[in-house]
Amino acid sequence: MHQSDPGYEVLEHAADLGFRAHAPTLPELFARAAEALADIAMETEGIEPRQTYWLAAEGESREALLVNWLSEVLYHLDGRQLALRTFHVKEFTGSRIAGEAFGERRDPARQPAKLVVKGVTWHQLRIGQDQRGWFCEVFLDV
Amino acid sequence: MNLEPIDRFRYRVPRDAARGMRSDVVVYAGEGLLEQIRRDKSLEQAVNVSMLPGIVGPSLAMPDIHQGYGFPIGGVAATDWRTGVVSPGGVGFDINCGVRLLRASVGADEARARLRDLVNQVFRDVPCGTGGEGPIALTVADLEELLVEGSAWAVKQGYGEPADAEFTEARGALAGADPNQVSARAKERGRHQLGTIGSGNHFLEVQYVERVEDEAAARAMGLEPGQVVVLVHCGSRGLGHQVCTDFLARMGAAMKKYGIELPDRQLACVPIQSEEGQSYLAAMRAAANFAWANRQAILHFLRGAFRRIFGQQVQLEVVYDVCHNIAKRERHRMDGREVDVLVHRKGATRAFPPGHPELPEAYRGVGQPVLVPGSMGTASWVLAGAEGSMRETFGSVCHGAGRLMSRTAAKKGRTASEVKKDLEARGIFVRGETKDGILEEVPEAYKNVDEVIEVVAGAGLARKVARLRPMGVIKG
Repeated sequence: MHQSDPGYEVLEHAADLGFRAHAPTLPELFARAAEALADIAMETEGIEPRQTYWLAAEGESREALLVNWLSEVLYHLDGRQLALRTFHVKEFTGSRIAGEAFGERRDPARQPAKLVVKGVTWHQLRIGQDQRGWFCEVFLDV
Repeated sequence: MNLEPIDRFRYRVPRDAARGMRSDVVVYAGEGLLEQIRRDKSLEQAVNVSMLPGIVGPSLAMPDIHQGYGFPIGGVAATDWRTGVVSPGGVGFDINCGVRLLRASVGADEARARLRDLVNQVFRDVPCGTGGEGPIALTVADLEELLVEGSAWAVKQGYGEPADAEFTEARGALAGADPNQVSARAKERGRHQLGTIGSGNHFLEVQYVERVEDEAAARAMGLEPGQVVVLVHCGSRGLGHQVCTDFLARMGAAMKKYGIELPDRQLACVPIQSEEGQSYLAAMRAAANFAWANRQAILHFLRGAFRRIFGQQVQLEVVYDVCHNIAKRERHRMDGREVDVLVHRKGATRAFPPGHPELPEAYRGVGQPVLVPGSMGTASWVLAGAEGSMRETFGSVCHGAGRLMSRTAAKKGRTASEVKKDLEARGIFVRGETKDGILEEVPEAYKNVDEVIEVVAGAGLARKVARLRPMGVIKG
């Protein structure tokens, strides 16, 4: 494990890639996880918060909610071709999440891909609490 | 874990009902490979696969097995068509990720003389697609036709020649695909990605035939020493990834409904005969057809690149195209009786033996070409399916060298320019699209492909036909 960005840590996996994110509260944790996913997929440095996009997801458990939320983010990155950098979660219940993502339409010259993320997996998925607050560990298929 | 040796090439984890195992696990490996396999969680994952309801025969681990998510990569499991389950995790996000081998009417010396020009031309003409838009924009109506017709759709649109589809597994289209089961999101992700490679371990390699091990089979496949070939490795891009995501999300509730409990949620599965199972299979087949149309369009762009470098007369012909992430309904013999099963191949290749009716006429006498890419600095293999695969592995073998090192570990202590220089000193010219694409795929990150091949050949699952060496590599 090594520190690749102040916001999250990369977790090693034989074939794929994982990350561990931290935050004081669960809604913030889901926002940090979304930012980690965007940063793994593309260069996020120069993304301007020109537009606000509304994202929402549902899930039958906290874990399902995280997988579905990150899958929603991935669809916006890969399907809608958006460059997203920051996320604010506005609604959060045990089974529903909604919030704003700030960014712009993706310009591949300014936001080149780092890695094509295929999907968000359930593999070794963890959401828990430690001395720093809430954390999650998520593995991506790349 | 209780791992018993069977012989030089096989080990067994006996069924332990107390753990929930419904079958044995059989691992194909020699001593050296087994030691590497034991370093990650792949065997534990193969044990989890043996818990799938309706599994027929053992959960199988190929010698290139490594840790995946849910299923191990290099895993094979057959489930009973009437009473068993289908698991989207047993196919993976990249539905019909696969390999296509092309033979060129160019010799290695001629290609070496123009290698940089050739690799640069291919890099320009065949986009990785990591920046978003690909070379072909499809309307939704086009895409829906493509999802049913696969390779043939691409050929019909002028991306290829009719003979190309003949030498493709399932002739480049699985029957029973239903575009209505593919979500609007999946279609949106795929609509601009036809004709692109992607990133990760996907690549295009210009290679040459280093040596032939089975002359009759090589002749049937049109391969001879010194000949240039091109290996294409990619899949169904965002369309397939979204199909898997959509169905994994639906499976949680469905598993509860059918009373299925498994140790890993990524193994999510439903009865094949359920509404959810049939929907998934219809969507998976559509995504598989997208992947074949994708590799077909890539072949078309490759032909253009080769003609720009070597002239209009140059030929690129398909040797074969195999998928290594798929679930297919097949008939096999098990303990003397015929069984109707769904064979999940997750990082495993079909390897039908000589005489199998599904093979094109040209390969009936020698067996199905099996394409096994190694790492970008070493070698790849062409094998031919053998009888052993039908007796033991539901007509399946390995799909590659198998990853040994994590992406983070592969990057440690190296720079991309050093890796490129090292490879160039060995006569291999590399172009990469993404920052870390080359670094993460360094040859040392993979097992020794020759050792993997020794096991499948030694176990009688496939025969060696030809060893291929890389000259030019294009990475996503």
